[in-house]
Amino acid sequence: MTKERGYRFRRALLSTLVGGIVIAIPWITSEYFVMMSVRVMFFGMLTMSLTFLAGELGAVSLMQASFFGISGYTVALLESRYGFPFPIPPLAGLAIAVLAAALFGLLVVRVRGIYFLMLTLVLGQLVWALACQWSSITRGDTGITNIYAPTVFGISTEKSKTAFYFFQLIFFCGAASFLAALKRSPFGLMLRGVRDSESRMAMLGFRVHLLRYAAFVFASLVAALGGVFFTYFTGLINPNTVSLPANVEALLAAILGGINSLLGAVVGTAILKTLDVVLSGITERYMLIMGVLFMLVIMFAPQGIVGTLMKYWNNRLFPSRNREPERRAGGFSKKPDVVRNP
Amino acid sequence: MSTLIVMSLLNGLTLGALLFITASGLTLSFSLMRVVNLTHGAFYMAGGFIGLSVLKFSGSWLLAMLAGGVVTAALAFIEERFLLRWARGNDLIETLISLSVAIIVGDLVLVVWGGYPRTISIPEALSGAVSIPLIHTIYPVYRIFTVGLALVIIGALWVFLKKTRLGVTIRAGVDNFEMVSALGINVKRLFSFVFTLSGFLAGVSGVVGGTFLVLVVGEDWRILTLTLIVIIIGGMGSLGGTIVGALITGLIHSFSTAFIPQFSLFVLFLPVAIVLSIRPRGLFGKER
Amino acid sequence: MARKRIIQLMVAFFVVAWACGSAHGVDEIRIGVIGPTTGWATIFGQDVLDGVKLALSQKDYKFKGTPIKLFTEDTKADVEVMRTKMDSLKNRDKVHLIIGPSLGHEGMAAVDWAARNPEVPILVGYSAPEDMTMRKATYSLVRPGWTGAQVIFDFGKYCAKDLGYKKIIMVGQDYAYPWDQAAGFIRGFLENGGEKVERIWSPVEAVDFSSIMARLAGMSKEYNAVLCNMGGAQVVAFFKQWQQFGLDKLYPQILGQANVPLVPMLAEMGDTLLGVYSSLHYYDGDPSPANVKFRESYNKAYGHYPSVISVQGYDAVNVAFKAMEALNGKVDDPKAFIAAIRNVKMTADESPRGPFYFDKYGNPVQNIYIKKVVKQDGRLMNIAVKTYKDVSQFGPYADMPEKYMAAPATTRDYPPGDKASYFKEIEKYFGKDYVDKLEKNKGWPD
Repeated sequence: MTKERGYRFRRALLSTLVGGIVIAIPWITSEYFVMMSVRVMFFGMLTMSLTFLAGELGAVSLMQASFFGISGYTVALLESRYGFPFPIPPLAGLAIAVLAAALFGLLVVRVRGIYFLMLTLVLGQLVWALACQWSSITRGDTGITNIYAPTVFGISTEKSKTAFYFFQLIFFCGAASFLAALKRSPFGLMLRGVRDSESRMAMLGFRVHLLRYAAFVFASLVAALGGVFFTYFTGLINPNTVSLPANVEALLAAILGGINSLLGAVVGTAILKTLDVVLSGITERYMLIMGVLFMLVIMFAPQGIVGTLMKYWNNRLFPSRNREPERRAGGFSKKPDVVRNP
Repeated sequence: MSTLIVMSLLNGLTLGALLFITASGLTLSFSLMRVVNLTHGAFYMAGGFIGLSVLKFSGSWLLAMLAGGVVTAALAFIEERFLLRWARGNDLIETLISLSVAIIVGDLVLVVWGGYPRTISIPEALSGAVSIPLIHTIYPVYRIFTVGLALVIIGALWVFLKKTRLGVTIRAGVDNFEMVSALGINVKRLFSFVFTLSGFLAGVSGVVGGTFLVLVVGEDWRILTLTLIVIIIGGMGSLGGTIVGALITGLIHSFSTAFIPQFSLFVLFLPVAIVLSIRPRGLFGKER
Repeated sequence: MARKRIIQLMVAFFVVAWACGSAHGVDEIRIGVIGPTTGWATIFGQDVLDGVKLALSQKDYKFKGTPIKLFTEDTKADVEVMRTKMDSLKNRDKVHLIIGPSLGHEGMAAVDWAARNPEVPILVGYSAPEDMTMRKATYSLVRPGWTGAQVIFDFGKYCAKDLGYKKIIMVGQDYAYPWDQAAGFIRGFLENGGEKVERIWSPVEAVDFSSIMARLAGMSKEYNAVLCNMGGAQVVAFFKQWQQFGLDKLYPQILGQANVPLVPMLAEMGDTLLGVYSSLHYYDGDPSPANVKFRESYNKAYGHYPSVISVQGYDAVNVAFKAMEALNGKVDDPKAFIAAIRNVKMTADESPRGPFYFDKYGNPVQNIYIKKVVKQDGRLMNIAVKTYKDVSQFGPYADMPEKYMAAPATTRDYPPGDKASYFKEIEKYFGKDYVDKLEKNKGWPD
């Protein structure tokens, strides 16, 4: 009982500390660091949406960047070409991206495992092809520029990076809480049930297709939210944002950090996006390093950095708790799910 | 106008031939091992560049093609033996490992051969064009050769799978894996062999394709996407399905670039999306 | 135990955060170069960088004793990454000047960034979209390079007047830069006697042109020549398939866009490029002393001959140096630096391309050469068959820039490619007097 209280106290202390630091960032670090943090946040939302689907549903989606981009393009269009006033572009962006997810979801929901990965890869490419070739709307390869971040309650987030930081932080925490709440809820439990044994769930009377569909749409909402902030901060958008490399990067970040934890998504994104900028100043072999890193993580730490750390943490502090991570791990534990070991 | 249609037909056919050669390896490895080898595109590109270098040294296109295939086969063997086998049983992890190898190989190719686009010269014997009697146009000999090559490979694979013991074992493994291992057949070696063969086919297709298309960084992902389209449409695990998928993909590509080039990309991905959602196994895929 | 671990982590965190923001020393000139140095667009970024390095090494990386520090950043051809790198060059490295970027879409994003960050002078590398120094021009961005249309207006005229073509097919990659080149060519061609330019667009990455070849073969009775409006890998594939499908027997030599007979292409494609006409503000076969010196020292340093891409980096550094001379090295006043840059005039001895100076929008007024690929000294090179002097980005419309900019921006279909619709458009935007003048002079004045 005391151990439990001690654990909870430490956890609360840690959370407050981290929260305090996060809020203090604009004052204790440089503008450069703030900019990097903002990037980690919006890409982090993209990664979280992938992590959510992969972790809870065991479905690796290579099209989350599509929803990120669809919402981004909508915001870009409404802001730069039509000049709609503030809350309209992001709301429209979210709505259209979720609508797209609802449509694609119908195609995607009946398919699982490797087929799901391949179908989402192809659908992601379909969205990319549209972004490239529908030039009258998307301006093709050049993309849309000239987008300015909004003025919220009289504060210009365009002029002040700090303002933008907090503006995004609120929604970022909201998105993370949303997904965390879903994970903790009975809905999350049902999703993990589908992940572990779909036939059993179906037999028990659960509407498996509906569950998968709902999860897919929820995840797209978070990705779309990331896309809104991406567009406002970067000031431009082009087909690269929805390309295959963009989707693969999101997957890399998710795996690096750990597919079973939202914190892992953020950590993975932070590592990837920071290495991105730092490494390419030192060496040209950035892709090679990322490929090797990816391979090592997938082979030796498939739970990702955070997952492995958490396992270690739990094992050290609470030997009796260590069954949880394995059970929560789903398809990414090393245990094979079918006896096919030759 | 009708000339254009006939030409598009021929173009689709010949592109389909190349796509078949490329996809055949992927189908083989998938049907037996249930792993979508995402390294396949990188093998295509690596095989092509290796062939390019061998051609520069030896002057023999045939040698270049074989060399491209052999070296890629060796890479595939290493990948299977040391990386994929380690994660055997977990399809998702194996697929992701193959993705990481693809990224690594892609960058290594950039290091060795650089970022400039290269192309493999058509061998003398296959260069030039012939006149097609009925439609009064000329068509490149080399592209007709690709169709011939594809037919040869189809024939060889057919004979191999139907008539040789190894081939029969592989087909048995595809149909009923547990039984095959229960029968005491060395499945490890079987997997190695199939994967190596698929690598060989990928490398060969890289040289064949690099001769009438182009070899450059980024081609690995383009080819991988096209190959996946072929396999998804035709059905994974079925050689006949791969032939059909390759033809359909080739024809769609050539007709759309001829008549509606500004939507050609989109039109290529649409049928895939439809097929996968209605019949996830592909048109001829096997039920598993 | 865990508490200690937490404190260690926090300390590490603070150290890292602080290090990211620490300032650099003074008494040093800092230049950042930005472009795609990895991935498919490597040539466009790496060559600019090589040109920059060559120029700097010729000056010993010093300006009158003050050391010059070079920061290079890779955009990976991704504009989000580019924006981030530009921000870090500005905030973290505190550079006095940015040279770059190279690609079209990068350029448009860069001018957007420049508008929001006017305190950092930018000397553009290879990017050619005209709006960067026209409709979207901003004071801190100067381009010692070219625009897509600028180098090709007179090529259109040359094809109509000197080569006598009436109808041309243009096959191009479907994105902004080829659109610009097509537009410039159409204006030159249709206003000087040509009748029609048919545009066929293909997806940017497509390398299988067999269907297009089939179409071209079918059109050969009606059209006189084909203009290849592509760059990179697509050029290699196009020329290859051109020969395979026997189109070299149906049409005269291919006309090329600026990126077609680049020096690395000449090396890769060899004799298939013989006879190709194109136009640019630089030609590698230029026998001028400045060019020979540049070419040979580049070859000595890197082992291969330079392309026009490297010239951009080389010239950018030399322009910056001339500006610094005027300021006596005081580069920390960005407004003065930019003003000095805009005042720079390069003579024929100072630049491998020839003389140039900047117009009021920040783009050079320079020579445009119609060039042809020939074999000389045992290797392929471009030589000039005609030179047009003092061409600005507005080309023949130099005396009515506002009218030019008021006309719609180029898209894949604008301006129209057939004479009738085209003349309707120019009458609308340039006025009836202009059209009358054209008909009287039968084209542009020579």
